[in-house]
Amino acid sequence: MMNRRASYVILAAATVLVIALLAAEAADPVLYTAENITTGAHADPKTIDGQKNNAAAVVPLMDELLDQTGTLTLTIKLRDYESAERDLARYSELTSQFDRLVITLDASETELGEFQRNNRKNLEALASLLNDTRRFDHLQRLEIQVQDGDQRRAIAYEGEALRQKMQKTYSAYASRESVMTGIGERYGLNTTPYRESVGHFSEIVDAADDWHRATAPQQSPLGITVTPAEGRYGETIRIAGRYARGTPGTPVEIYIDSRAAGTATLNADGTYAWPYRIDRVAAGPHLVYAAADAVYSGVESFQALPDETAISLAVAGASGTTVTCTGNLTTIEGLPVAGAPVSIRVDGETLVDTETGEDGTYEQVIALPAGEHTLRAEFHGGGFPLNASESETATIVVRGEGLPLIPFVAALAAAAGTAWYLRRRETPEAAPIPQPSQAIVHQPPPKVEIADLAPHEAATVLFGALRDRLGIKKTKTPRDCARIAPDYAWFFERYEQIRYGGEEPTKEEIRRMKDVILGGDEAAA
Amino acid sequence: MTRLQREAWAVLIILLIAAGVAYVHATTTTEEYSRYNIGWNGTSNLAGETVRDFADLDPGATLLILAPEGEFSTEEVADLRAFLDSGGRVLIADEEGGANQLLADLGSTIRVRPGNLASLDRSYADPGLFLGHVVGNASHVAGVKTVLLNHPAAVEGGEPLIETSVLTWDDLDGDGRVSGSETFARRVVSAYEGNLTVLGDPSLFINAMLAENPTFIQNLQPLQIDGRHSRTGTENPVINITQWIRETPPATAALAALVILPVAYRFGRKEDE
Repeated sequence: MMNRRASYVILAAATVLVIALLAAEAADPVLYTAENITTGAHADPKTIDGQKNNAAAVVPLMDELLDQTGTLTLTIKLRDYESAERDLARYSELTSQFDRLVITLDASETELGEFQRNNRKNLEALASLLNDTRRFDHLQRLEIQVQDGDQRRAIAYEGEALRQKMQKTYSAYASRESVMTGIGERYGLNTTPYRESVGHFSEIVDAADDWHRATAPQQSPLGITVTPAEGRYGETIRIAGRYARGTPGTPVEIYIDSRAAGTATLNADGTYAWPYRIDRVAAGPHLVYAAADAVYSGVESFQALPDETAISLAVAGASGTTVTCTGNLTTIEGLPVAGAPVSIRVDGETLVDTETGEDGTYEQVIALPAGEHTLRAEFHGGGFPLNASESETATIVVRGEGLPLIPFVAALAAAAGTAWYLRRRETPEAAPIPQPSQAIVHQPPPKVEIADLAPHEAATVLFGALRDRLGIKKTKTPRDCARIAPDYAWFFERYEQIRYGGEEPTKEEIRRMKDVILGGDEAAA
Repeated sequence: MTRLQREAWAVLIILLIAAGVAYVHATTTTEEYSRYNIGWNGTSNLAGETVRDFADLDPGATLLILAPEGEFSTEEVADLRAFLDSGGRVLIADEEGGANQLLADLGSTIRVRPGNLASLDRSYADPGLFLGHVVGNASHVAGVKTVLLNHPAAVEGGEPLIETSVLTWDDLDGDGRVSGSETFARRVVSAYEGNLTVLGDPSLFINAMLAENPTFIQNLQPLQIDGRHSRTGTENPVINITQWIRETPPATAALAALVILPVAYRFGRKEDE
């Protein structure tokens, strides 16, 4: 009895344990993922996530970008600024689309990335060309209207600055022609509009040169020097000069690429100096001039040299479904890069954008579904004299919001069911035990011959005889019989031990059992 | 039913289930392209008759040589040449270059360039799963505009039949990204010369891919599958012995005798008694 109960308890415990183990595994999506889904030769498409990446738009978009350069430069050349603004807006929109596409497709390191970077520079160049050409027109009109000598000189200096700037921009634009048309031809694109745009650009710059020859500025009393002539991110360039006619304390405006960048103050000895730190400027040449009391200096330039970068990524689980990504962006020399855009690529596709702080570090919390994910931090370099970089790929498993409820409910239900089953077996209330007086039909004592039988067999014969005598069905077990006829319980229980427990009855026991058969009910107790 | 009977039935059912599982386990395999592999990378569901003698090919059928291995004998090459000349269609699907010697022996200019093409222009997260575009005109591709490819290799020579998009690269380092010397280019993954077609992607015929290109697969019917050089066989000894018995009449007869004789002996004894 005890052994059987122990077996049931062990079975129930094992069932609960198995279900509990399954419940723990249920939280892990690996359980639902077919293993060996990819061999060297193929993958099972049913186990690979579907993904629509819009890559089919890449080639048509490249074609449209090349086409747009020809249209835009033509409208600038024709001084149709309204149409040029519209064309530039369209070109800018297409460029943004292409930038996003290249980043989404993780193709920055490919020819597409090279095309994208050159196209981005072309957009900046053509936007600058439009502004500079329009300003040039304005200066030309002013030059006709203004009679004052200082003002005419100022116009001439600004015109010279613009001319130099346009010349440099054109040189850079023309230098990209072979790369852009080479890539375009490999992809079967029409490169004629781009070639034409280089020609249009050249004609616009030539027109500016012609005007400059007619209005060349004379030697300015406001001197300017830029030292050193080139620098990398984080380095400082000194813009300084002497203004012989100026009085101490006179403000000297410093312009970089025709935009006011800062103000220096004239010293008692007639000199000024202003430090310029290279940070958020694109790599390449930049023009510098100064202005004080409506007097303009000559135009100098410096070169922002591109520098390599390094970006790190550390991923930590923040809570059930989110992870915290941290890292820092530095130049290859270890200088932190502040205010730079950083993209975190999740599972090779989704991009989450963040920005570095003053110390070059960033932190971004990302919500992720349960499962294994890969993350990589990327810096794309736009707007900084810095090259793109990306971190090592980090892998993290998100456990999800705790364990799912259903497996535990199933485990509890299984445990409850087992307990109910055990209880039912031990107290069979479903089949009410008939009262002996009602159920038992006493038959006359049968004739029993057990003299030649072994004790074990004799017990079996006696059990059958008593069962027949009491009118109990032959299908009933000794335990059933004991319940039906409790007055003879000791007989049936002893027989059960003999029959199933393998115990050997003594002669005395056989005799007592036989007495019960022959002696009637009074011998039972 | 007594407890003993219940236990006996339970044991019997468990034994039957165990025997069924053991049989399925012993007579299946996980080998790539195997006709006995019922898993995703087997070819058990590809409808077609396995043939081992190229002299007996049906001229109205397409012969599929799938991921071939080993050398083809002079007689086999001659039989294949005769089959092609009689109007039979041969489709060689290979991505490892195992078919190149056969192609040369058949006088074809088509060659398989082993590789692992991947594409940005895809519908799955795996860059090796992408669409090829039908550019040629052959009966295999009647009514088919695109074919879902599965880590194909490029083929050279012949008339192009299926091409990739221009955003395809040979993923030499297998990192799923265009890196190092890898460059984008349009690649031919299937080409043909007369009735001979070469496809750089045997994966199109695995169980997991059959539903992806139903028209292409249907166009191949009636299909005969080479069982001598294709990787459709198995190393599983149980399967091979079973197959040998099926294909060898004396062995089949011997096995039948082994089953019948004890029964006959038993019945004979009963009558004697």
